[in-house]
Amino acid sequence: MPVAASAIYFLNLRGDVLINRLYRDDVGGNMVDAFRMHIMQTKELGTCPVRQIGGCSFFYMRISNVYIVIVVSSNANVACAFKFVVEAVALFKSYFGGAFDEDAIRNNFVLIYELLDEIMDFGYPQNLSPEILKLYITQEGVRSPFSSKPSDKPVPNATLQVTGAVGWRREGLVYKKNEVFLDIVESVNLLMSSKGSVLRCDVTGKILMKCFLSGMPDLKLGLNDKIGLEKESQLKSRPPKSGKTIELDDVTFHQCVNLTRFNSEKTVSFVPPDGEFELMKYRITEGVNLPFRVLPTIKELGRTRMEVNVKVKSVFGAKMFALGVVIKIPVPKQTAKTSFQVTSGRAKYQAAIDCLVWKIRKFPGQTEPTLSAEVELISTMAEKKSWTRPPIQMEFQVPMFTASGLRVRFLKVWEKSGYNTVEWVRYITKAGSYEIRC
Amino acid sequence: MAMHGMRGLSIFISDIRNCQNKEQERLRVDKELGNIRNRFKKEKGLTPYDKKKYVWKMLYIYMLGYDVDFGHMEAVSLISAPKYPEKQVGYIVTSCLLNENHDFLRLAINTVCNDIIGQNETFQCLALTLVGNIGGREFAESLAPDVQKLLLSSSCRPLVRKKAALCLLRLFRKNPDVVNVDGWADRMTQLLDERDLGVLTSSMSLLVALVSNNHEAYWTCLPKCVKILERLARNQDVPQEYTYYGIPSPWLQVKTMRALQYFPTIEDPNTRRTLFEVLQWILMGTDVVKNVNKNNASHAVLFEALALVMHLDAEKEMMSQCVALLGKFIAVREPNIRYLGLENMTRMLIVADVQESIKRHQAQIITSLKDPDISICRRALDLLYGMCDITNAKDIVEELLQYLNSADFTMHEELSLKAAILAEKFAPDLSWYVDVILQLIEKAGDFISDDIWFHVVQFVTNNDDLQPYAAAKAKEYLDKPAVDEKMVKVCAYILGEYSHLLARRPGCSPKEIFSIIHEKLPSVSTTTIPLLLSAYAKILMHTQPPDQVLQNQIWTIFTKYESCIDAEIQQRAVEYFALSRKGAAVMDILAEMPKFPERQSSLIKKAEDAEADTAEQSALKLRAQQQPSNALVVTDQHPSNGEPLPVFVGQLSVVKAPNMNNTEDHSSTEQVLSQENGNLSQVDQQPPSADPLSDLLGPLAIEGPPGATVQYENSAVSGLESGPDVVDGSAIVPVEVGTNTIQPIGNIAVRFHALCLKDSGVLYEDPYIQIGIKAEWRAHQGRLVLFLGNKNTSPLVSVQALILPPAHLKMELSLVPDTIPPRAQVQCPLEVVNLRPSRDVAVLDFSYKFGTHMVNIKLRLPAVLNKFLQPLPVSAEEFFPQWRSLSGPPLKLQEVVRGVRPMALPEMANLLHSYRIAISPGLDPNPNNLVASTTFYSENTRAIVCLVRIETDPADRTQLRMTLASGDPTLTFELKEFIKEQLVSIPTVAQAPTPAPPAAPPTPQIPPNDPAALLTDLL
Repeated sequence: MPVAASAIYFLNLRGDVLINRLYRDDVGGNMVDAFRMHIMQTKELGTCPVRQIGGCSFFYMRISNVYIVIVVSSNANVACAFKFVVEAVALFKSYFGGAFDEDAIRNNFVLIYELLDEIMDFGYPQNLSPEILKLYITQEGVRSPFSSKPSDKPVPNATLQVTGAVGWRREGLVYKKNEVFLDIVESVNLLMSSKGSVLRCDVTGKILMKCFLSGMPDLKLGLNDKIGLEKESQLKSRPPKSGKTIELDDVTFHQCVNLTRFNSEKTVSFVPPDGEFELMKYRITEGVNLPFRVLPTIKELGRTRMEVNVKVKSVFGAKMFALGVVIKIPVPKQTAKTSFQVTSGRAKYQAAIDCLVWKIRKFPGQTEPTLSAEVELISTMAEKKSWTRPPIQMEFQVPMFTASGLRVRFLKVWEKSGYNTVEWVRYITKAGSYEIRC
Repeated sequence: MAMHGMRGLSIFISDIRNCQNKEQERLRVDKELGNIRNRFKKEKGLTPYDKKKYVWKMLYIYMLGYDVDFGHMEAVSLISAPKYPEKQVGYIVTSCLLNENHDFLRLAINTVCNDIIGQNETFQCLALTLVGNIGGREFAESLAPDVQKLLLSSSCRPLVRKKAALCLLRLFRKNPDVVNVDGWADRMTQLLDERDLGVLTSSMSLLVALVSNNHEAYWTCLPKCVKILERLARNQDVPQEYTYYGIPSPWLQVKTMRALQYFPTIEDPNTRRTLFEVLQWILMGTDVVKNVNKNNASHAVLFEALALVMHLDAEKEMMSQCVALLGKFIAVREPNIRYLGLENMTRMLIVADVQESIKRHQAQIITSLKDPDISICRRALDLLYGMCDITNAKDIVEELLQYLNSADFTMHEELSLKAAILAEKFAPDLSWYVDVILQLIEKAGDFISDDIWFHVVQFVTNNDDLQPYAAAKAKEYLDKPAVDEKMVKVCAYILGEYSHLLARRPGCSPKEIFSIIHEKLPSVSTTTIPLLLSAYAKILMHTQPPDQVLQNQIWTIFTKYESCIDAEIQQRAVEYFALSRKGAAVMDILAEMPKFPERQSSLIKKAEDAEADTAEQSALKLRAQQQPSNALVVTDQHPSNGEPLPVFVGQLSVVKAPNMNNTEDHSSTEQVLSQENGNLSQVDQQPPSADPLSDLLGPLAIEGPPGATVQYENSAVSGLESGPDVVDGSAIVPVEVGTNTIQPIGNIAVRFHALCLKDSGVLYEDPYIQIGIKAEWRAHQGRLVLFLGNKNTSPLVSVQALILPPAHLKMELSLVPDTIPPRAQVQCPLEVVNLRPSRDVAVLDFSYKFGTHMVNIKLRLPAVLNKFLQPLPVSAEEFFPQWRSLSGPPLKLQEVVRGVRPMALPEMANLLHSYRIAISPGLDPNPNNLVASTTFYSENTRAIVCLVRIETDPADRTQLRMTLASGDPTLTFELKEFIKEQLVSIPTVAQAPTPAPPAAPPTPQIPPNDPAALLTDLL
């Protein structure tokens, strides 16, 4: 296992150190000053998450209003370091009851130090699973008063569980009502040329689960993906059902998934951990259903005027609707006055991001609202600089729609006591970086 | 205050202050900028109050560091507002956001002009401040007379006149040609009678600028200045508000003394006496006190007084008083004061007589050297370095060596270099010198450049009685367990050469010496191994009778390295192995190295590079340059000029590889040459003199662009080595002498040489005119076209071009128009016929008038010998009969040329080819030789074939043998001389065309490598 960190720092947006922990003594304690001077106080912040200054590498990540910085001086595993940060944040969140920000850190110094001691040793990541850590780091995080008080549980043998066959689940769990929640969350990344041809498009999706099941259940998940369907049709020796099959790329599973069975039988079967977890992640690059089409026309009329017309077309089912649609249409920096006409939603000019922002709270399928705006520009000293025309950006959420077309075919729960379970399945598609050139 | 009631502005500022981080601030600023843009766009609803408020916001945003690229129009328009608050913000924002070249400023000129002429004093002040900050050429043109009038007007309040003086100063500094200062001497004198100290301070700033430009016109101001100084020093009639911590207007004092330094000397004995009294007063009255501000002010005055004392060449007594005062400074604990004391003492060193009195403080200075503050150490080191002479060298160098042990790491390089130079310069005896350098290498081996140990080797080689001592020392040092690699190098070399002189001493048998050296072999790098191999070979050779065991040992080593990956080591091993088997013949080849020729030291150049050029120094230098005929410059201070110091040039390659005969070492030789020869340009330097005539030569003595310096120095070396040739060569080159004070752009000589090689290009350029040339050559005839381009917007008049052809050229220049219209180009064709071979060059005497300037330039025309050549490749069958048929002088001439610029054979072939001499490869069996041929055309001789053979010596590229043959004796001679000039000089660099007039240029071009000369110039 390669080294992932020599030191870890938590900084606020001003660059003050909130907490730090040195795991190895090969980096100086003042290295974080270098980070502050050369990264935070320059324009480079946010351009590249890995930077090298003075023989040290800095990996950093911003989470709400906190920068988490990992410093290493040796040739460390960057992916491992970032994964560590992500997992650690998830861990902290589960301890603090949801929020991870500057205030949460300030309120939980002692707890964080204790956790930092436990989750990494001499730069090597250790067990980051909240279920297990909670067994022996029992100190309570300061929770918001609304979160429910956890029930008193017996303290089982942590060692036994970690070293056991199913390290991620405790035995002897009992629920009155056995429920499984399954969410498929997809985000669409798109770059489209002004003429409407797709330059780059992919979907990254993940399946999130929440289990409240008694005992040691065995779950089996069937999706309408290509491998699974083919396998099934072979087994049952009948032609595959008509309908779309999805080809998934880059599939990664949670550790609970039985990979040998996946390799031999091509089914996703697993013993789930208790509570929330991410079952799998995948990516698809072909056959993406784009939820929106954007047709922009932006005309520069002379030096001081512009005409912007944008038509947005929703191409999902008429019964569905998108929520929180925001369309950001960039305009030149010297924009002075704007006037709008929109068929739905609201639009305004935001000078801070140099964009016309058009918001539509509820956007039904198969409609096409338009925006037309007139923009007046002020004359400036920098004559020659022509406007670079950055792409239009879009944000949205479409519930019960998957851009990939992925569907859950079945979710079977088998437990030796044979209780009945309730399965809940949801779909949602969000915008990743959804950009249309204009 | 105008800010009153601007709620929006104060809210905005507090918003910005409350921002948690940069990002938030940027968002807030961008939002506000959007708001301002929106407001400015709807011109109608903008009240003057709003406009003022938003322009203030713009300024605040601009001050935060954001780009504000709009709204300048609004700011400028506020200038013409009738009310003060608006006008004020207009002026302030305009002078912050715009610079002098901005177009928008034109819009404001009229208003500013009206404000200056107008009666309102506040407006006058605002306008003057604006012009004083961003006034450009147009402002100068339209406002200078008005500002001058204001300055002199008696009806104005001092406040306005003060600003007027500063405004005028700016205009004068920016555009001295536009501001008419003729006859200002009287007015300045009048101004200096002013009682108000504020006006006086501003006027004094103006005077400093005026005097630095032309001190002769203002000599009447001199007594006034002295009087002012007297008034201040005696604290007579100085109002309370101009007294700073009890010191009467230190600013004015400093400025006055600075102005006085621009006058070369003070002739009037009364004034001089008064001045010295005042200076005495200042010197006596200054002391170190507790209050920092008071110290700062009084010391500023004191140091300016010191500078003035040095400048005036005061009596010895006063000087030693200054030194005593500084001595007090360096004894103080406060580091700033100590630093200043040391620095000023270093500066005082230039004045001849004070050295003795400074020496009295030597102990104190050495204490400062050990100060933990590194900048104080540096100053102390500089001072010690400067004050060192033959009497105290031993003490100082020993002190430096001792300090080396404890010194800060960053000081090591400078320290060791300076110690080495001092040891070299002032060594009382050579064994001491060897000791010092060996100690230096031991203590700071990393910082000892190769030059230093080369030099030791050279010393030892040249002094027979030193050799046994050096060898013994070398053995002693090499015996130590951990030895620096440089030490290994120098010791191995010395032991290799001279260990046989120790043979009879105990423990010094060849075998033991060998084992001592050989012990170090595993730990050294590949660059040192060859040196060790050479040492082994020499030891082996010196062992008589041959020791079989030793021989076997050494042979094993040689055989081991015969397959080394490093070519140098491998070659040496193979060769030494072969040589050592030859027996007696080896004696000759591996004999002791011959003595080195005496040359000048290279170390000093390095010391110069290492020296930090502080701002203060450069200011001094600038001032020194501004007083060109400063008769007070001490000229007998060239410590290193007098004694020629030997240096290790060129032979380095011989030392390293005594028997290498390929061209590998060529590059290193060249490198060494270019490194070492720096200070040789001192040779060109003549003592400055005050001859006003030589002023005319001044501008032409400029050297090429900085990039060419190395080359220039390089050529100076080759010039030195072949002294007579160069003089010969340059004597026939006409000199460019002109009455112009206009600086040509680019180096004329470089341009000329470039044009010798190609047919079109720029011959001459200055701020007003550009002369281009385009030529076509056919046999003995040529057609040149001169392109005279006027670069300006006004016409050039009285244009004259005269050709002074040498006897061998017939030249006809068509009519040159008298006037060149603005921005126009005139073409003047010029017919050339070559009558007979000669190296003489035609000269174009060109003159024109621009405004009141009469400019006259003499330019060499690139109608040179090689233009009438036509390359003629020949085969062996054609060449040899002709070569044989032309035998003996005068048709065939042979000469050994020395001091050739070292270059590789292909490079030389290229050079010849560029002179239109065709190389015929493969004709000569020896690959180191070149055979070339060409045809020469002239009217008298028609076409003549010329044959050239150049034999080079790969071991010594600085010499070659050249044989030339042609059917015409004159041609043979001229062509031979021509080629020789090209090989010896570097054709792209000026060949110092000054025919050594008795009076040298008054600003001797400061060679950047001679500290003494530099220091002299600093004064």
